[in-house]
Amino acid sequence: MMKLDPKIPPGPLETKWDRRRFSEKLVSPNNKRKITVIVVGTGLAGASAASTLGQLGYQVECFCFQDSPRRAHSIAAQGGINAAKNYQDDGDSVGRLFYDTIKGGDFRSREANVYRLAQVSMQIIDQCVALGVPFAREYGGQLANRSFGGVQVSRTFYCRGQTGQQLLLGAYSALCWQVERGQVTMRPRTEMLDLVMVDGQVRGIVARDLVTGRVSIHTAHVVVLATGGYSNVYYLSTNASGSNVTATYRAWKQGAAFANPCFTQIHPTAIPPGDTHQAKLTLMSESLRNDGRLWVPTMRADHRCPGDIPAGERDYFLERRYPRFGNLAPRDIASRAVKSVCDEGRGVGPGGQGVYLDFADVIGRQGLDVVRERYGNLFDMYQRITGEDAYDAPMRIYPAPHYTMGGLWVDYNLMSTIPGLFVIGEANFADHGANRLGASSLMQGLADGYFILPYTIGHYLATAKLTPVGEDHQDSRAAIQRVTSRISRLLNSKGGRTAASFHREVGQLLWNHCGMSRNEEELKSALTSIAALQEEFWRSVMVPGSGEAFNQELEYAGRVADYLEFAELLCHDALHREESCGAHFREEYQTDDGEPQRDDNRFAHVAAWEYREGASPILHKEPLAFEFVPPTTRSYQ
Amino acid sequence: MTRPSHHFQSTVGSKVVMALSGLGLMIYVIFHMLGNLQVFEGPHALNAYAAFLRDMPILLWTTRIGLLSLATLHIVLAIQLTLRNRHARPIAYAVHEYRQASFASRTMAASGLVLLLFIVFHLLHLTAGVIDPSAVDRLDVGGHHDIYGKLVHAFQNPIIVALYVAGQLGLGLHLTHAVTSSIQTLGLEHAAFNRLFKAAGPTVALVVVLGNVAIIMAIFLGIVRG
Amino acid sequence: MKFTLNIWRQKGPDEGGRFVTYEARDVSSGMSFLEMLDSVNQGLIAKGEEPVAFEQDCREGICGSCSLVINGIPHGPDRGITTCQLYMRRFPDGAVIIIEPWRARAFPIIKDLVVDRRALDRIMQAGGYISAHTGGAVDGNVLLISKDQAETAMDAASCIGCGACVAACKNASPALFVGAKVSHLALLPQGKPERTRRVKAMLEAVDREGFGSCSNQNECEAVCPKRISVRFIATLNREYLRAGVVESGLPAEPESPHAEST
Repeated sequence: MMKLDPKIPPGPLETKWDRRRFSEKLVSPNNKRKITVIVVGTGLAGASAASTLGQLGYQVECFCFQDSPRRAHSIAAQGGINAAKNYQDDGDSVGRLFYDTIKGGDFRSREANVYRLAQVSMQIIDQCVALGVPFAREYGGQLANRSFGGVQVSRTFYCRGQTGQQLLLGAYSALCWQVERGQVTMRPRTEMLDLVMVDGQVRGIVARDLVTGRVSIHTAHVVVLATGGYSNVYYLSTNASGSNVTATYRAWKQGAAFANPCFTQIHPTAIPPGDTHQAKLTLMSESLRNDGRLWVPTMRADHRCPGDIPAGERDYFLERRYPRFGNLAPRDIASRAVKSVCDEGRGVGPGGQGVYLDFADVIGRQGLDVVRERYGNLFDMYQRITGEDAYDAPMRIYPAPHYTMGGLWVDYNLMSTIPGLFVIGEANFADHGANRLGASSLMQGLADGYFILPYTIGHYLATAKLTPVGEDHQDSRAAIQRVTSRISRLLNSKGGRTAASFHREVGQLLWNHCGMSRNEEELKSALTSIAALQEEFWRSVMVPGSGEAFNQELEYAGRVADYLEFAELLCHDALHREESCGAHFREEYQTDDGEPQRDDNRFAHVAAWEYREGASPILHKEPLAFEFVPPTTRSYQ
Repeated sequence: MTRPSHHFQSTVGSKVVMALSGLGLMIYVIFHMLGNLQVFEGPHALNAYAAFLRDMPILLWTTRIGLLSLATLHIVLAIQLTLRNRHARPIAYAVHEYRQASFASRTMAASGLVLLLFIVFHLLHLTAGVIDPSAVDRLDVGGHHDIYGKLVHAFQNPIIVALYVAGQLGLGLHLTHAVTSSIQTLGLEHAAFNRLFKAAGPTVALVVVLGNVAIIMAIFLGIVRG
Repeated sequence: MKFTLNIWRQKGPDEGGRFVTYEARDVSSGMSFLEMLDSVNQGLIAKGEEPVAFEQDCREGICGSCSLVINGIPHGPDRGITTCQLYMRRFPDGAVIIIEPWRARAFPIIKDLVVDRRALDRIMQAGGYISAHTGGAVDGNVLLISKDQAETAMDAASCIGCGACVAACKNASPALFVGAKVSHLALLPQGKPERTRRVKAMLEAVDREGFGSCSNQNECEAVCPKRISVRFIATLNREYLRAGVVESGLPAEPESPHAEST
């Protein structure tokens, strides 16, 4: 029976982390070099963790499926990274960042974790500066800040629109240093496909060399997963096409609890999907909503050009429904509003999937040059993708899956329910509760990797009893057997359908039934359809080529197989959570004017799911206590 | 610690040595042109200048040996780097389109080869007198070697003129890319001067080619006479 | 729209390659170049044939994975973009498109259009970093960095490591890639203590990996998706010369990077 012990240190919030660090046991320097740590994933969390653990003297083996650790999807984050530096002296503090994050997450995250995140946020900036990250500066040479995501303070540090890239390259360079020192062995183009479990502890991974196709065992004393989120289960998302759920999903099957999978963030301002060949959705920066106005025609199926629609026949729906925040309503609220007007048949563009984001007013008020200077690169990007000029006609936008707050359950020390398996970054269920604020994901990834995991992992290593495990251990052989039999099953199913067609189908199913709004009936029907799709997949998927060579289609088919199973878990969780909170909106639980209704009595808990072979997953609940911030209703009306 | 000599054996180091030796040769070429331009001042001026140089054998031979070593260094490194660069792309593209590389930059090896052949010819022709023995070792009225007369005699021949003009075009093409490229290789870069650096190659090339061709053509067209 | 594609197919690193012709039908002008290839591949897979292997990941021009030479130009005919940002409306209907991999000895072909670019990682490992221990950093505002300096460093740091500079260079030289990193770190005060060692180590790695040398043709700049300027190659050369001069006057120092870890 699984037990969820969050291991939160008792006592005042402000000193929990300090006391935990002091009470932790340390590993002596002589012993560190005899300890092997596996880190899977080289995004912000993985690269920062691997480099820091290398610095500490551990032998680190670091894996990524990309050809270089620098290509992990953290690289694509645009906006910035939050830190409670209060350089602007505008009233920011650790407490305020903590409060904003708890409230933004709709009171579904752990207070102790979020407070620690806010505390270490300041060190992150200093560390990144030391590594040479070229943050934007003021004329006087000090670090510049901007406000982001509707908070009332300026606490976001940025490098133009490429903050994720610069932070990742900083962590990557630190990783390069450790590779040069011989502390980290880098294994690019290697995909983790399973865990090696010995006596209930994780003792290594099974990985496939994507170039040669060789499947092999890599043993270690402890394994860290930093494998990102699962937005790609929706097929179309803003994630890189390689981002996948396989590592966390297979860890789940080995006994790690999966927490809150239904908390998936849908970003309101992406370029709408075009034709069926489209492979990804491109995000347009949230900053566009500072000046752009969202509207749709009041009439349904109105195919006139936007310029021909008179003001009286336009519905500025965010301004109408949320007069106080208007077009700047938070991500989850804005996304749902867009969906609801499109569902009414008032959407614009191909398939009625889109709303106008109109800059005519600001162009009229401040002139074309001002708009060009402020958003020129975004307008260029829009034109390149759609072939339309947004200076002449309004942009069309539509929400897109973007980030997943859910992930493997971890305790305060970032360890999953499997002893020795640590999970960091977007891959864990994180500190964002039911909804993440802008510029917080970079902060969390680096907090986990640079400053939290390197402490907590030592305590586990100093206290756990770890006997030597080799490749010939029976549990190693069992793990490798699981992987190879699955691969041959994929290769032997010679049907006529491509893996992509299944991916698209399950993605659309989830988008329609478990996307921005959900209800019991649709979730139940989705579960039935998913089961049928799984069967169909194993019967008729077509994977050409062999397993003993570079085979991108085989990699992809394996990931799609996991999406198909994971989609079920996602729906189970959405079905269980009979409330609307953050990104999770259940149609049955809304106020009369269509606002989400949270249920703190029944659902102020983390839903952690345990895998059971051949049966529905088992739900475990970790109650969330709010000792320091009493839950309130989020209202933006 | 590595010795500085080791520092210049790397590819970037080799490029630096090439740039420096090239610039050295360029300086010689400019002085060579300036000296010869005295042809427009008449036989006395040019022959006296030649005699002045000949009277200082140390300078003469230092220059000759220096030039020979610079040229050898330049050529050996060029061959070394070219071989290395060829090696760096074993399979060529089926299609390759240049986007902004100048014609001069794409023909450095060819223009360099033309230039080398021309220099050999030039030395055999006017310095050693192998090509046209009648052209050397005459004395003028002042008892100096009659360089002026030698030039006037040489450039009466249209074939010789054509070869010299072709050599100058090779020189010009080479300098057009070489000078700007050397500046970049030596790490000189500054927002205020970058346009100047970019213009340096074509400017030097134009000046040198115009100067030298002016001498040749002036003689050939009879503007400068014996 | 319809296109004829001549694509380089090669089974593995040690096998010979050749061009194979494919027809891309029912292409819409709003499709990206990679989506067009996706649809060709879907057709191949459904027939049980092996799809054309090519690299891609973020599809928004920042990860640096995609790497196709299209009609003789890395990342295709448009400037300042990666292959994934290229759209089919850029090509006339019925066009013949030749698709090749990055070609360089240092980038051996893994399969079809996929090449091994680990050489770039090894150059970075040789010295493309600042050795700053986690946790030891001073407050970010202690180091004042002028806005211009930060912006120039950012210009250089925006390199995505795609390798188009190597692919476009007639000598397969990574001078722009190395120049961008050396300049980025040399421009910032944090990077100064290690600048001598860094530039030497990175350029030694370049030579070790079998890349060519820079001929200052500036083709790299023309194909760079981030439009990184060749002025950073001048900075690289200057840093290298400086390293030669500075170091020749310094006493011997322990150069082994492993000395610290023992």
